Amino acid sequence: MTLHPATASAKTEPEQSVIHIMCFSQEPDWDAPWRFSAVRRGSGSGFVIQGKRIMTNAHVVSWDRQILVQRYQDPRPYLATVEFVAHDCDLAILKVQDERFFEGLEPLEFGELPKVRSTVVTYGYPAGGQQISYTRGVVSRVDINNYVHQGNRSLLGVQTDAAINPGNSGGPVIQDDHVVGVAFQGTPGLENTGFFIPPPVIRHFLKDIEDGAYEGFPQAGIRLVPLQNPAYRRFLGLPDNDLGARVDSLVEIPSTQAVMRPDDVILQIGPYPVGSDGTILFEGNRVFGAMAFQEAQHGEEVKLKLWRDKQETTVSLPVYYYEGDRTAGNQYGSPPRYFVYGGLVFTPLSMDYLKTFGRNWADAANAELVYEIFYRRHEDPEQTRSEPIVLADTLADEVNANFIIHRRALVDKINGIRIDKLEDVIRAIESNTAAQHVIEFIPHNGFECLDRADAEQAASRILETYGIPKDRRL
Amino acid sequence: MKPFSHWAARTTTHCQALATAPMPPTPDRPQPGSGSVSLHAWAARLLAMITLTLLLPGRAMQGAESRPSGWEDSIVEMDVTRKQYDYTQPWTRRMQSRRKAGLVLEGHEILTTADQVYDRTLVRIQKRGRGKWYIGDVTWIDYHANLAIVTTEEPGFWDDLKPIVVPEGRSPSESMQIVRWREGKLEMRKAEFSQYTVDTGDLSFVPRILLEISAEIQGVGWGEPVFSNDTLIGLSVQHTGNKISVLPASFIRPILSARKLGTYRGLGFFDFFWQAAVNPASLEHLKLKGEPRGAIVIEVPSHPDQTPVLQPLDILLKIDGFDIDMQGDYQDPDYGPLLLENLATRGKWAGDAVPMTISREGRELEILYRLPKAEFSTSLVPDATYDQAPEYLIAGGFVFQPLNDPYLKAWGPDWKRRSPFRIYYFNNQAPTPEQPALVLLSQVLPDVYNLGYQDVKYLVVKQVNGRRIARLEDLHAALENPPDGFHIIEFMESDSLRRLVVSAADLEAATQRVLQRYGIASDHHLSSESPAETVTAGKP
Repeated sequence: MTLHPATASAKTEPEQSVIHIMCFSQEPDWDAPWRFSAVRRGSGSGFVIQGKRIMTNAHVVSWDRQILVQRYQDPRPYLATVEFVAHDCDLAILKVQDERFFEGLEPLEFGELPKVRSTVVTYGYPAGGQQISYTRGVVSRVDINNYVHQGNRSLLGVQTDAAINPGNSGGPVIQDDHVVGVAFQGTPGLENTGFFIPPPVIRHFLKDIEDGAYEGFPQAGIRLVPLQNPAYRRFLGLPDNDLGARVDSLVEIPSTQAVMRPDDVILQIGPYPVGSDGTILFEGNRVFGAMAFQEAQHGEEVKLKLWRDKQETTVSLPVYYYEGDRTAGNQYGSPPRYFVYGGLVFTPLSMDYLKTFGRNWADAANAELVYEIFYRRHEDPEQTRSEPIVLADTLADEVNANFIIHRRALVDKINGIRIDKLEDVIRAIESNTAAQHVIEFIPHNGFECLDRADAEQAASRILETYGIPKDRRL
Repeated sequence: MKPFSHWAARTTTHCQALATAPMPPTPDRPQPGSGSVSLHAWAARLLAMITLTLLLPGRAMQGAESRPSGWEDSIVEMDVTRKQYDYTQPWTRRMQSRRKAGLVLEGHEILTTADQVYDRTLVRIQKRGRGKWYIGDVTWIDYHANLAIVTTEEPGFWDDLKPIVVPEGRSPSESMQIVRWREGKLEMRKAEFSQYTVDTGDLSFVPRILLEISAEIQGVGWGEPVFSNDTLIGLSVQHTGNKISVLPASFIRPILSARKLGTYRGLGFFDFFWQAAVNPASLEHLKLKGEPRGAIVIEVPSHPDQTPVLQPLDILLKIDGFDIDMQGDYQDPDYGPLLLENLATRGKWAGDAVPMTISREGRELEILYRLPKAEFSTSLVPDATYDQAPEYLIAGGFVFQPLNDPYLKAWGPDWKRRSPFRIYYFNNQAPTPEQPALVLLSQVLPDVYNLGYQDVKYLVVKQVNGRRIARLEDLHAALENPPDGFHIIEFMESDSLRRLVVSAADLEAATQRVLQRYGIASDHHLSSESPAETVTAGKP
């Protein structure tokens, strides 16, 4: 790691470049998808980087309606817009239209992954006051962490005992005048544990957007498990040492399935030897091997040294951003797709939709929905639907007055057509010429019928009654 | 798949106006500021109460009624001690006792409910709420019906007891009382009629008729009889808040009679799923002729050895001669509208043919539906394993257990929410000929042999050494045939571990080491090796 003291010392104090961000946002109602929640005012931090840009967290500016940014000790608010947003790694880049905003501001430079036990200082605008706040702490741990903003991605993260509170989000973590992290999350219930996004993740993001679009961190689609049982190592003809972890199974990614097999033993990923516990040594920290794949960009190939059929071999594995579990994580940016017909509200099943059920969304009562979203694609890939559709709700009207199944039901078929995505619902309904529409559900083939002529007559009445601007959003 | 098989479970009410509950008397309270005066007044009142109690020996607790009814000679108290298993450590057991009520019947028999009589080690019976405990013997038990018959051979027991008659037909609902022995006295509490429902109980998935009453009493639901004047109404089976569920005499009597005649074959049930036909567009789609009515069959389980007589989208118009309305109710001559499920247990047993009129694609057909026998073992994840110690098999520290609801219930009263979702979800899946049951790797007792697998748990085993696993016996046999010196254990496809391999040669030594280190007496308990001592339904 090389620092650049000459460059750093010439600069002004870092706080000059730390920005206070106010975001006015509106999230969609996932069970009434044409509607949005009340406007919420959120506050976060950011900092100026090269190219007249502000870096912050994605969660600071998600679902934005208006973003205002303020410089250090400057009362004037400036309008900002999102230029890039990366929900998987919780980072975003903002642009400010008014060029004057950047006058006199030095962009902060990025440093390297800080060492465990070294001291860092966070800069930001946390709750509890209007002025900038500094907190000092040590780097407690470097590990793979769940990034809670999207919820189903784990990337390299750094834990510190410097206080990181709401409002700190997006602020820089500084060491020797260089940004060594972006503060982003804490763990409720654990004391003195704040987390920041380290330079390897930040640089990956910045490299990704160089082509003008953000793709995301690639996934190998490999379930890598420790290989420490001496008998299993013997079974595979491996020496009883600490090298090599086992591929237990593969995610349904064709490019991975073409190259990898269950029971392959991965000895090395790129430059990193893989330990028998599935970890690699990354800049002095033992972290889970998946980290090594995250260094690649979407579409790049990663060289793997494998132990297969009792001999060493080398393969090149192309890795891509994985879309297959999109709905199992929190979604942002695009409001939910829907189609309303005869008062029946059809929308894709998603984690966001399940959360509208409240704290106990995973109740036995919703088992089919939970299974569909989290398990089916692993267990029954042939029956997996690309976009499972739910009857989210039934807007009461005389056409549907006698429905027994009227909400939270997974749709199987409509008019005999299997529903794999929202477009199938529309096609099945609009192509039907019979007197009734037949909607079948999972489980147990429960069904409801809707009189076609009545439903068509009721269409505009229902939209008007319930204040729905359009019958669909695709 | 487990029936109670209609969408959106609901209860059917037999409506009667609820009597207004009498206002409780206002308690006398000392007025503020009158401390010393009222102290005297309270002391005097207390003395008066003691005197009154002394003058009226045998009076039950305050609020309860008592009278020399003759029921003292017909109701006995029972104490059942049973084994209580910890399914997270299936090799351990504890003891638990439960007080229950029993009713003396003709022929030296005592009728009680089956609840808590399973896994019993000792049944004791006491007359008149006091004195000697007699040793009882359970001669017949049916967990689906929630009924048991107990007897005793002890001399003198029956001498001064008076058998009670379980009446036939509709029960009256006026002047009801729930009766039990408490602290040596017969306690009687006034009960109010609430409704008749058709529902499953705690013990079985079979829905049957239940009478709901309310009474100011705590801790009943253990077979305490309910009377209307001198007529037995039924036995209490469940108690939540003020609501007490009662198994009506009209349900019990036919079972007892059939049992005496040797014709009782256990309860049957409707194994299909149906939904109410309240949506007229659905009936039009199914081409029903005439008035809207009936219940729509939506799923029929497949049986490998027979073609089901019902098909999805059949409309059930009549069952056993009763018209089915669009709610899925029939008009019971005794109890008013009841859910059609009741027609599977209304004086019918497993194997009986139930005549049904159905509408199929617009044509009316007469069919005979044969009631399948209610058995726990036919579910992929059985609801219950009464009178069986938990099965397990320990091999090299890996603990294998059958997946069943008693195992999942180890997660406590809220087990449906708290148990691991994926293994709970097998309750929603149907058995197949290849996979009639499931074996779980529930935990690993750490040993050098299973190094690297210590954290593996809650995984359903798919195959071992290439052999498909449905029961512990399959696993036992598969472990006898390791290919090439290794045991290969594979799990069902999921997002968790799929495969592990261990040494075959070291297995036995590792198992012995684990048993010794963790203080476990035996490496397995298989019910096939020690079948449960059961007195099954169907044998008088």
